[in-house]
Parts: sequence; structure tokens; C-alpha cells
Amino acid sequence: MHEIRIGEDLRDRNREIAAENREHLRAHGIVALNLMSAPGAGKTSLLVRAIPLLSKRHAVGVIEGDIQTTTDAERVGAIGVPVYQIQTGGVCHLDAAMVHSALHRLDLESIDLLLIENVGNLVCPAEFDLGEDARVMLLSVSEGDDKPKKYPLMFHEAQLLVLNKIDLLPHVTFDLEKARRESREIQPRLDIIELSCATGEGLDRFADWIDRFVERARSR
Amino acid sequence: MHETALMTNLLAIVERAARDGGGGRVRLVHARIGEFAGVNVEALRFAFEVLSPGTAARGGRLECEVVPLRVRCRGCGAEASPGDFVLACGRCGSTEIDIVGGREMEVDYILTDDEAAGDGAER
Repeated sequence: MHEIRIGEDLRDRNREIAAENREHLRAHGIVALNLMSAPGAGKTSLLVRAIPLLSKRHAVGVIEGDIQTTTDAERVGAIGVPVYQIQTGGVCHLDAAMVHSALHRLDLESIDLLLIENVGNLVCPAEFDLGEDARVMLLSVSEGDDKPKKYPLMFHEAQLLVLNKIDLLPHVTFDLEKARRESREIQPRLDIIELSCATGEGLDRFADWIDRFVERARSR
Repeated sequence: MHETALMTNLLAIVERAARDGGGGRVRLVHARIGEFAGVNVEALRFAFEVLSPGTAARGGRLECEVVPLRVRCRGCGAEASPGDFVLACGRCGSTEIDIVGGREMEVDYILTDDEAAGDGAER
């Protein structure tokens, strides 16, 4: 028997492609955000509600990731922004290669802010760099305030946490303070915004955060 | 579940290493998987059973070493294995913490037969 030392990471190939995506996006002056959450937390609703606000200052493009269907792309496309739907065919997350193909199908000259909606999943997307500038995590209050502790990696990887569906707070048991505190234990530098896509409350704060983020990203 | 995709990567890495290392049949694959790497070790084992037969690792064994979360404080340099995913230094209270272990997803080493497999499959 003989031992062969390897020490190679299973994500290396994905990281290489993600680095290419990042370079490609930067060359086109595009800032990219990767939206992650469990299914049903409101990623598509957030896009549908926030894009009209964001479009005042940014040329928005969207990549939609789903296991099946093109309904999300249709919902977002109805607003009138360029959108490309990735159907992963059973894969539980987007990876850099999928986004790479999508980038070749979008007119990158016509956008400067790319919003990537990941597949709804609280585990897998955390491990796959897509080439984005930051990750935005959504947690809806109906999912429960225990989720940061149960799925720490997703929260650790995020720069912004959106607590969605706050209009439901009177009807569910969700301790906002606990969710904030435990999320920041996992990621001390996390920004947190509470909002409701149903009532529109807090959407302006979300748009402001993106404005500030884009400004910072461009000055780098 | 993305263990199948990860296993495909793992087997590609193993095949390349085994070929470069003399082409001997792979008897053992030793992987290091972080406690917080978002990988289910059981699903990884299952993926190995399903996918390895067509590769240089057929008939071999997958060994998964689970690496606990390990953090280091940027302020005072203290290291700890918190067990829980809480990024605050137990010594000085700083939240400037680096994760130095617990997110691994790597093939550490493989054990192969000394002689190249004789069934011609590798050629």
C-alpha cells in the first residue's frame, strides 16, 4: 500500500469559476448580490417589491434559480427588467458554473446591479460562491426565531439579514430580539433590516442599504 | 442535498491523484469534513457507494474525519473549539474572530496498491 497526500478542497473548482464570474462582473461594472433563504421566505416577493424602487437608481438584472419551473422569472420579468431563469434540475443550490452560463445569456452592458435569487434551501447555498459581492439572507418570521442557531452557516455567510413578513408578528411566536442577537453571535458584522413585502413597510430601508452597498462596492 | 455533486468532485480528484501516483487500485479515501461544512457525512458515504464503482476507487473505502469548529481571536490570539457557532472570544470578548477549522471539505490522502491495477481499466 502506498499513501498519496492530496489536501484538495472539493469546492476548489467552484471557487475558480466564481473568481472568473467576479472578474467578468467587475469588468462590466456590475455589483452582484446573492439572495438566499428557505423556500417561501419571500425572495421573489422582495425582488418584485424592491426592484421598482431600485430601478430609480440602478439598472437591475435578475438571475432566478429554481429546481423546476419558470414562474419566478415570469413574476420578475413582468416588472420589465432583464431576467434569466436557471432550472437546476434537482440540484439544491446554484453553483458558479450555472451562474457563468447565465451571465452569457444576459445583456451585461445594460445592467449594473445583478440580483441572483438562489434556490430555496437553508443549507447548501452557503457553501457555493457564485462570484457575488455579498450575500443577503432572508428569514421570514413565520419560519421561527430558532433558525439562525439551526442553520448557522447561512447566517454567517450573509452581510445583510432581511427579516421578512413582519406584518405577521402579531400572529406568530417570533422573538425579534432573540433572532437579532443570535444572528449576530454567528456573524457579528451582520446588518439587519425588518420589512414586510405584503405592506411595503421597511422596503425603503432595504433599497437604501443596497444603494449604500453599491456605492461602497464601486469605490473599491 | 449536494453530496452527489461533491462526491463527483471528490472522485475526480481521487482518480487524478491515483493515476499520477502510479495507477494502483485505491483502497482508502480519507476525507476531512468540517462540522459546519454543510455536508451530511452519511449522504456522502451513500454517494460514494453509488458513484465509486465506475472509478479508480471501486471497491475502496471512504473514511470521513469530522473536524470540529475551531476559532481564533484576532485581538488576543486565543483559540477555542466553541461547540456552538458563537463567534465571540471567550477570553477577551472580541467579536473579531476567524474560523480556522470546521469548514473543511477536502480529500486529505488516499491509500493505493503498490502495483497498477491489472485489469486494464485505468488505461
